Amino acid sequence: MLYGYGGRILRVDLTSGEIQVERTDPQFMLKVIGGRGLNSRRLSLELKRDVDPLSPENLLLIGVGPLTGTLLTGSAYFTISGKSPLTGILGDSAAGGHFGPELKQAGYDQIIITGRSQWPSYLLIADDHAEIRDASHLWGKDIWETTASLRKELGDNAIQIVAIGPAGENLVKFATVACNNSRMCGRTGMGCLFGSKHLKAVAVRGTQPVAVADPGTYQELCRGIDQKIVAHPEFERRKAMGTTMLMTALNSLGILPTNHFQKGVCDYVDRVSGERLARDLKVKNKSCFNCNVHCSRYYMTGKVESEGPEFETLCSYTSRLGSDDLEFALKMNAFLNRMGVDSVSSGETIGWAMECIQRGLLTKDDLDGLDLRWGNRKAIEKILSMIVYREGIGDAFAEGTRSLAQRFGRGTEAYAFHVKGLDLICGDPRGIKAYGLTYAIASRGGDHLRAEPFFELTERYDEAEKRFGTRDAANRLAENGKAALVEYSERLALMTDCLTMCKNIGLCMDILDFESSSSLLRAGTGLKFTPERVDEVLKNHILADRLLNIEFGLEGSQDTLPSRFIQEPLEGGPSKASVVNIEKMVKEYYRIKGWDEEGNPR
Amino acid sequence: MIRIDVSKCSGCRRCEVNCSFFHSERVGRNGSRIKVVKIEGKGIDVPVVCQQCEERFCTKCPESAITIGQRGEIVVSPTLCTACGACEKRCPIGAIEIFNEIALVCDLCGGDPRCVQECNLEAIVFEPKVTEAVSLKDMRKGVRGLSPEAKRLRFAKRIARDTRTKWLATRRE
Repeated sequence: MLYGYGGRILRVDLTSGEIQVERTDPQFMLKVIGGRGLNSRRLSLELKRDVDPLSPENLLLIGVGPLTGTLLTGSAYFTISGKSPLTGILGDSAAGGHFGPELKQAGYDQIIITGRSQWPSYLLIADDHAEIRDASHLWGKDIWETTASLRKELGDNAIQIVAIGPAGENLVKFATVACNNSRMCGRTGMGCLFGSKHLKAVAVRGTQPVAVADPGTYQELCRGIDQKIVAHPEFERRKAMGTTMLMTALNSLGILPTNHFQKGVCDYVDRVSGERLARDLKVKNKSCFNCNVHCSRYYMTGKVESEGPEFETLCSYTSRLGSDDLEFALKMNAFLNRMGVDSVSSGETIGWAMECIQRGLLTKDDLDGLDLRWGNRKAIEKILSMIVYREGIGDAFAEGTRSLAQRFGRGTEAYAFHVKGLDLICGDPRGIKAYGLTYAIASRGGDHLRAEPFFELTERYDEAEKRFGTRDAANRLAENGKAALVEYSERLALMTDCLTMCKNIGLCMDILDFESSSSLLRAGTGLKFTPERVDEVLKNHILADRLLNIEFGLEGSQDTLPSRFIQEPLEGGPSKASVVNIEKMVKEYYRIKGWDEEGNPR
Repeated sequence: MIRIDVSKCSGCRRCEVNCSFFHSERVGRNGSRIKVVKIEGKGIDVPVVCQQCEERFCTKCPESAITIGQRGEIVVSPTLCTACGACEKRCPIGAIEIFNEIALVCDLCGGDPRCVQECNLEAIVFEPKVTEAVSLKDMRKGVRGLSPEAKRLRFAKRIARDTRTKWLATRRE
């Protein structure tokens, strides 16, 4: 038997209604590991490159890793992949919660969904049984209602569900997919992909406990990891605030996006910080499957309650839009989660509009009369609702910032902060150069999670010299050594995505390395995952993703940042006067990869 | 017995994971004798486990396979149990359930419950000596025909009521 892995792959053709089950081939898994790696390889093997992302031919993949749902702390994740409707290149997004482990317990490593159902449908999986069911009665419902309705009508509260909201149904290009109400596959528009296939949800119940090859060794390795996590200097802060601790942390580095990256320091950060949220509004910790950090939180304001928010949402709906109203951001968090909208991309469309208004490039008349001044809550609420239902100007916003700015022209493109069509996250790259490089080269566009090079913030200079040949790698303002750091972190980030484990733990808390990951894989699966083999697999994956993106039409010239970050020095604060010399770092990154000057693998 | 503090549980299910792994070297809800019920949208997570109730409904076993151990825990005889499901039907909170041809219920891991060891939020606490037995008499009404999962949900809703009230009260201050 196969250990760690679910052992089966489910193929669903929504056009014909045909469902097939394949056995997982261990020889194949040795080449891909699982999770994001497995999904990307599937795209490489089976996707027609010139396919319209919204056409039935696009693939929709849901993958888990060999260690998902095991004793390993943080092994809660699953990855959804496909050709992105937002960017037109490789799209994928992962989330924690409890869906991934349930899929594993049902005995699956991957679901491959193709075609388009004639009517709204959902996929129901219960161990060996899978069927496509009518979802007409769920269409139009938000994510929370959909999840509750499905559990009720199926008579099983423990069933795990991923679902889209009205945004996904209306093909908003940055629509999300959620499990457990608030755990979001947020980026690259995987919810739009669901909507294009008329797929409202996937509901899974699995009853078969997951076995590992060598339980004794595996338990020992997992215990070691648990001890490292609890002993980590950030443990208590992460437990109290989760990623929202980054509000004050980034502000103190002068890189907290304020008024759409015009400033890196926010005067009112204490009113919208993770500390304030934890003190005034949090009622308890929440957690993904099998985690001892419990970094998520449940909040109640008296008017609204939900799990969350994470840092990206909190920053996107406070300082990035010039709002000092914490309770408003929480209200928006709940709204975005219900409707299934990515907070980063939606926040960027609004931030773009606000800056264009400030600069006189757009007027109220361009925006259906909406008064998008900094921090205007009524206008923010209104435009979000218009985006979800594609009403009026909301229809253009729903296409994403790149397309939105192209439509208006008049110099507004310069304020559309995206890379390759994916809107930038909340962290000003001018004060964190390795992150800047990551945004520029990430295979899914402007995002940090492809490498998460937190190491540059650690000031561990001796370790930097040892690992990357220069002390500068641990200096956030230096550009030297950052290509080597990003190349390394990119492999480690892929490793956690393949397992599939939480990146906050695996990477940001510096818990995983290649050696320990390989040991976990061997004890978990019994397959010969030597460190050498794992390293080769990871390098092959990154190369294959690059080639796939080139076949989707990507050019090396897109490996860059919006001009603000290259040309305009940050005003004031601890990252004062800094800009990113992106070209230098990108060229160095190509050199390490052995790619040519244009970023093409030789 | 294992006492539950609903206000502290994050719903991580480490209790389930470690219960299952300790008893079978595998990880899964169905292999666990403690099961976390989530009431999503209300922020409630409740680990449901045998409460060593006053009534001991499950001990009326047609095969006499169920007895009470020295710590007050329920003991299921693997040789006598025929997996008939009578105990599962009788338990009003879904704390005993048939899986892989035997009734699974909390055995306190021989006095050192792994679920409690692994909970770092103090949401479940081990009390070696039970000072006050819990009565589940009023939970019996209306359970006929309900699945163990549905019974657990019912129980979770009941014991979570106060927690929600308290949370809401602090918001109105």
